[in-house]
Amino acid sequence: MLNFYQPQPDQGTPEKITGKQVTLQIDGVDVTVAEGTSVMRAASQSSVKIPRLCATDQLESFGSCRVCLVEIQGRKGYPASCTTPVEAGMQVRTQSDQLAKLRRNVMELYISDHPLDCLTCPTNGDCELQDTAGELGLREVRYGYSGANHLDSGKDTTNPYFTFDASKCIVCSRCVRACEEVQGTFALTVDGRGFDSVISAGQGEDFMSSECVSCGACVDACPTATLTEKSIIELGKPEHSVVTTCAYCGVGCSFQAEMKGDQVVRMTPHKQGKANQGHACVKGRFAFGYVTHKDRITQPMIRNSIAEEWTTVSWDEAVQFAAQRFTDIQAAHGKNSIGAISSSRCTNEEVYLVQKMVRTGFGNNNIDTCARVCHSPTGFGLKTTLGESAGTQTFASVDEADVVIVMGANPTDAHPVFASRLKRRLRAGAKLIVIDPRKIELVSSPHIKAEFHLPVRPGTNVTVLNALAHVIISEERHAEDYINERSDVEAFAKWRNFILDEKHSPENTADITGIDAAELRGAARLYAQAANAAIFYGLGVTEHSQGSTAVMAIANLAMLTGNLGREGVGVNPLRGQNNVQGSCDMGSFPHELPGYRHISDSQTRQLFEDEWKVSLDAEPGLRIPNMFDAALDGDFKGLYCQGEDIAQSDPNTQHVEAALTALECLVVQDIFLNETAKFAHVFLPGATFLEKDGTFTNAERRISRVRKAIAPLSGKADWQATMAFANALGCNMTYEHPSEIMAEIARLTPTFAGVSYEKLDQLGSIQWPCNAAAPEGTPIMHVDEFVRGKGFFALTEYVPTDERANRKFPLLLTTGRILSQYNVGAQTRRTENSQWHPEDIVEIHPHDAEERGISQGDWIGIQSRVGETVLRAEVTERVTPGVIYTTFHHPVSGANVITTENSDWATNCPEYKVTAVQVSKVSQPSSWQKRQKNYHDEQLQLLEKALQ
Amino acid sequence: MRKDSITRLLAMIDQIALNMRANGCDHEVAEQVAQHLEKFWSPKMKSAVIEHCSTGPSEVSAITGKAVHCLHLIQKAKSS
Repeated sequence: MLNFYQPQPDQGTPEKITGKQVTLQIDGVDVTVAEGTSVMRAASQSSVKIPRLCATDQLESFGSCRVCLVEIQGRKGYPASCTTPVEAGMQVRTQSDQLAKLRRNVMELYISDHPLDCLTCPTNGDCELQDTAGELGLREVRYGYSGANHLDSGKDTTNPYFTFDASKCIVCSRCVRACEEVQGTFALTVDGRGFDSVISAGQGEDFMSSECVSCGACVDACPTATLTEKSIIELGKPEHSVVTTCAYCGVGCSFQAEMKGDQVVRMTPHKQGKANQGHACVKGRFAFGYVTHKDRITQPMIRNSIAEEWTTVSWDEAVQFAAQRFTDIQAAHGKNSIGAISSSRCTNEEVYLVQKMVRTGFGNNNIDTCARVCHSPTGFGLKTTLGESAGTQTFASVDEADVVIVMGANPTDAHPVFASRLKRRLRAGAKLIVIDPRKIELVSSPHIKAEFHLPVRPGTNVTVLNALAHVIISEERHAEDYINERSDVEAFAKWRNFILDEKHSPENTADITGIDAAELRGAARLYAQAANAAIFYGLGVTEHSQGSTAVMAIANLAMLTGNLGREGVGVNPLRGQNNVQGSCDMGSFPHELPGYRHISDSQTRQLFEDEWKVSLDAEPGLRIPNMFDAALDGDFKGLYCQGEDIAQSDPNTQHVEAALTALECLVVQDIFLNETAKFAHVFLPGATFLEKDGTFTNAERRISRVRKAIAPLSGKADWQATMAFANALGCNMTYEHPSEIMAEIARLTPTFAGVSYEKLDQLGSIQWPCNAAAPEGTPIMHVDEFVRGKGFFALTEYVPTDERANRKFPLLLTTGRILSQYNVGAQTRRTENSQWHPEDIVEIHPHDAEERGISQGDWIGIQSRVGETVLRAEVTERVTPGVIYTTFHHPVSGANVITTENSDWATNCPEYKVTAVQVSKVSQPSSWQKRQKNYHDEQLQLLEKALQ
Repeated sequence: MRKDSITRLLAMIDQIALNMRANGCDHEVAEQVAQHLEKFWSPKMKSAVIEHCSTGPSEVSAITGKAVHCLHLIQKAKSS
């Protein structure tokens, strides 16, 4: 979908979806639209553009500019078409001499206070003010330009991505309304009155110092050059565009990559994108500079040992070197001595190829994916209870929710575009329950206040969920008819007895969870009484030793209250990375083939064997932590790691580093020399999402196209690199385009049977299952029955983690993300986003800080049972006493030096969210940090020599 | 396999059993744990714990011992 650049169509006011249709006449032509539609939008739908300045279809109509006036038969005056809803039989006239005169008069006033520098203006040719002046035939400004004006108003250039030039502002309030309605931050306001009105960030602050979160909604909304991307100011207007999908979080926003030649000028959120509907965040909208960062490595490299310099080689030499090493290892140590880890940042087609290469080329099932360390408990828990390893809804479904539980997730930081949608629903009256150890922003922010915040003690989620269920069932607030009809009643009866045990009551669990019993009862009642209640959860649920149990407990709650199978309800895992759902769907776990079918199932295996022309191993392979242990045992010697920085992201860094050092051949495919690559023998340069074709699947199961905007800097997209490696190993992969890989996936995977690139182009995106029964996909799952048939109430016994606080380690560390950075930071650290978060810091409650003599900004040593690191302290009440919190975006922070190998009982997902620690004021980095710096410097020297 | 690794595998079985303990009597839990191991563990991990538990006295919990015994039976049935 390569297009010459054009601004995205704008119908003036938002779409209204109502059952009733209304027919009216506009300029003598009959038009039929939904009731509630504005006259402006109705006109637009019949290809009549009514001039406007303050209206845009991303915002509710406002009626301030007075340019969109029309005549309506039988009505006095000239109503604004943006604020006038259609009526049956209405006769509208959009052009007349009188209307032209009125509109020109208004326009004259605007232009009398606007710089006449169109030819040198950065938005020349892409400016609604300029276009409107042209449409109205403005030829003179009778007022002149010498009167009072704002032409000398200064520019605010503090934001790294856009400028605010007040001299060009027409005070239409689109930016203010975008910040409120679309983003929900309320950072902008109109300051002053009348002629003195100016747009102000915060309370007269500059943009960078204000609460502005740099989502870019105001920039998109601005009809003039007032708010303009710096890239546009520097490079000019784009000339073509490509619609693609963001490669950051699991929301999966659709973007228009706007280009000049092979240079990305800007990314604008695509209005037709069903996951984001024209909104974006600071990462997806602006943080794409890493694509051309000087640290990109674009040549394959090899070396015999990790103490040697790298040698740059051709692609062929690199893959032959890697293949020979892997073949030699298998000859010496057996077929199970090698394996691979694929990435949730890569496309479906790419992760599919990696698992295919492992199963056909390596001849084993030693394939795992980074979803192991985030949402593997979601797969296990939802498959067990509901029958499918996926979330149940669309994001848009939250618009129908009356009560929302957000548990172990911080959407405003980690899934910001969904958070904006959720906030909109909350402002419209839905109630919110937050279950989180931290006081996340949703607990209390402008126009949002959670009805309940249950500040759960880390590690006790299951107890909280059991207590909520106990209240609902003991107070007979459950949906009995739904349960009888939809669930396995025998399992329910057993679960009912289990959960009714008084040990699960809020009063008896308060000491464990730290949650006030009355508050918990209130939350349970609120959730149970809602007509529609939805649960959204994140890694604060899964990354625990009981992560799978907690996911099952969440599914139990939803079934118990009948909150599955329709709009506004459901169980919604918020996936961390762009393609976590997809990488799991594609058979990246060592026990499953694509479509979540167990490798031991002979019928499924036969299907793949027939297609792939090989015999498949029927036994599960190694999970990531098993690979590390086997490497230290000397049984596992070769690893192919695609797009995943295990040395930074996996727990107990020192253990991971030891395992990587023990390998005879580590092949890393990445866009940068990441922490893992510093232990590698072969480096295959990766491609960013802008350099390849493929698909991503977001947290809604929505499959969206990734389209190549620029050629791969290394000459190969990731699927081509994997194919070259596989062929060097003797596989016979001959794909010419990722669409052929998707066609193979569709042939082999019932839930993808109806998916094709043609259909994706036609529909924009598709939510699986997509097959003969659902040819256009399945927005809401489990509508009439659960995928497994009857829903299964799993018993959710609470087993405390072994990782407990004691006198030596009295605090509990929990980890998370921040808005401006993404995971290990490999991408965002190489953008201006680092201005917001140049280093990881540790949050500590004032009480804990005071006890230890710690002040704001002090360096503090954090010691756990496995390691120590040093970070700067932020003293804050966002965390409760006894809990500290940090992020893991910077390698030097060593957040995972202190996390342990404790993991979820069912899936081995690491317990990142609970580490017992002690903290104390220190004056120098930890010994690991010193070693890390030395090793980093050594490895950079070895790299620099190769690249000279 | 290093002793550390065996110890870790046995601890994992203990943990799985603990999390399944509400599902039934010891025998039922042991069966379920064995099924879980069969479904998710690699052959080498399975054989390592079976070998460890069948070669003389070992410090394993009763439930883990039972689960490994059930796993052994599953393996035997598969190979017969």
